[in-house]
Amino acid sequence: MLTLYGKNIPSRIFLGTAQYPSPMILENAVRHSGASIVTLSLRREIIGGEQRSRFHKFIEMLDAYVLPNTAGCCSVKEAVITARLARDLFKTNWIKLEVIGNQDTLQPDIFALVEAAKILVEEGFDVFPYMTDDLIVAERLVAAGCKTLMPWCAPIGSAKGPSNTASLRTMRDHFPDLPLIVDAGIGRPSHATMLMELGFDAILLNTAVAKALDPVKMAQAFAQAITAGRLGFEAGILNPRDIAIPSTPVIGQAVFP
Amino acid sequence: MKKILIKGAGVGGLTVAYELFTHGAHITIAAPENGPAGSASWYAGGMLAPYCECDNADSIIEKWGVKAIKWWHKVLPELVVRHGTLVVAAPRDNVELDRFAARTTGYEIVSAKELGDLEPDLAGRFQHGLFFASEAHIDPRKALDALIGRLKKGGVAFVAIGENEKDYDLVIDATGRARLQLDGQLRGIRGEMLLVRTTDIHFSRPIRLLHPRIPLYVVPRQKNIFMIGATMIESDNLRPITTRSIMEFLNAAYILHPAFAEAEIVEIGVGVRPAYADNLPHVKRKDKVISINGFYRHGYLLAPEMAIQIKNMVLQNCVQDLL
Amino acid sequence: MHIRVNGEEFDVKAHFLDDLIEELGYAGDWLATAVNNELVANNERSNHRIYEHDRIEILSPMQGG
Repeated sequence: MLTLYGKNIPSRIFLGTAQYPSPMILENAVRHSGASIVTLSLRREIIGGEQRSRFHKFIEMLDAYVLPNTAGCCSVKEAVITARLARDLFKTNWIKLEVIGNQDTLQPDIFALVEAAKILVEEGFDVFPYMTDDLIVAERLVAAGCKTLMPWCAPIGSAKGPSNTASLRTMRDHFPDLPLIVDAGIGRPSHATMLMELGFDAILLNTAVAKALDPVKMAQAFAQAITAGRLGFEAGILNPRDIAIPSTPVIGQAVFP
Repeated sequence: MKKILIKGAGVGGLTVAYELFTHGAHITIAAPENGPAGSASWYAGGMLAPYCECDNADSIIEKWGVKAIKWWHKVLPELVVRHGTLVVAAPRDNVELDRFAARTTGYEIVSAKELGDLEPDLAGRFQHGLFFASEAHIDPRKALDALIGRLKKGGVAFVAIGENEKDYDLVIDATGRARLQLDGQLRGIRGEMLLVRTTDIHFSRPIRLLHPRIPLYVVPRQKNIFMIGATMIESDNLRPITTRSIMEFLNAAYILHPAFAEAEIVEIGVGVRPAYADNLPHVKRKDKVISINGFYRHGYLLAPEMAIQIKNMVLQNCVQDLL
Repeated sequence: MHIRVNGEEFDVKAHFLDDLIEELGYAGDWLATAVNNELVANNERSNHRIYEHDRIEILSPMQGG
């Protein structure tokens, strides 16, 4: 069973809640995928009390852990104040820490990320840092007190899938006991399976599901893909070799090939 | 004959009124003093885009939307412009065009030259685009005013809100945003838009500029005016437009054509679109009140279909009473 | 009193943050507030005095990735 900051997490698929065609489709995607964590944002927007209350009920109905994010923050200061506001609003210490270095590509600012992580861990937050696949950044974040990491596999929304398998593998080997959640850039279910086969602990998806032609079906596809990848990993995957080994025994046959 | 009160003079109320009136029903319309001004219908783009809208919406929209174009053309032929829609993307966002093309039908891929033939002012600015030839657009405010004019000319009474419903046999509630606090299933989606004026650019049709996060459209209106819109924020707040939204609109317009940098801002609008959880409109009936709401961003596209459904519901009922 | 809320200027009568929220018409739960870049927690709003030219941020939860 996956554990994150002391909580048992029953499923290894996590879903972002942005850009779905409608709230109804979002709800169905979360339900049918069995996602156990959903991410939410805070916006400098004042929604009326009634609508807020209905949104609150809607989120509660999803029956998943809420992981607020610091989306849109580009500095340490912004990220830290947003995290504090998120903790007060959502009543959780969990925070997905994103500090954006470039508004166009949404690439994380790893320097600000580490600094913000230090401050937030100090203040008692359970930080889920969204990062690149840089090993040194990972080490700094762990040293700062992060008990999980969320490396990207490709830029947000790009659907490219992992092109950085070597660095992801290195990170997995380097932190064998740390829960590692791949976030951002996933396109197809097989990407997720592949990452789970490498031994990653969970996958966070948004665009790949929300922007699919049938988001509910895609959410289910990813759930199954992630389960398959995890099971395969746990079962011990066969290493590839160049020379064939027949699966049927040859000794004892009347005629050798 | 049954007396019917229609509450609301947005696109929902006026299309229902038109359908019922032209089918012989006795109707009265209760609306605020300045009519539809300030409603979502007032700030709408007026695009009749059954195919483009299916990028992110239920496919029923295509079916009903195609019928709606015919309806608007039948009722207000002088206002419907049938030049299609052109969809483009900045070169860096080309994959958005592929994604859009994969999720929609009713288009042809146009080359740079064909695009330039369609819109000379965009010649050379985009390598290719998607052209949805059978789509249309209408000036929403002119459409609303024209419907009101037709109904008044036909003798339909317009009364103030607060009209006593007891005097009527049937009430049709098309009050849109006013129901947000009262209908627990409705939510508001804030939209911001700009009207700008420039004589340097001419478009014959709405242009949609795709972007992974901030898709926008520019709709040509009369007298060198262009509508640039619109944001979609899950909020019922009507406070003034944010500088961020203005910047995003103007950046997008600039990508389309740099001459927009010199355009005058004529109007800034903020509206709230009521929507249900499935983003589809719904007709509900309770005793003598039929309510229609939840048009989301598809008011002009779906109101005719809802109007026909309500008209059928009402007339069939009346028929049943007679039998 | 002249204050700024989410970048917009307002003239308000309220002296405390919770009254301000009520005065602006946004009473209810699931809101986060900061004054001059410092968090003012939910349970602190009724005690938090606001002053002329305060910069107040009111945030709502939204869908996000």
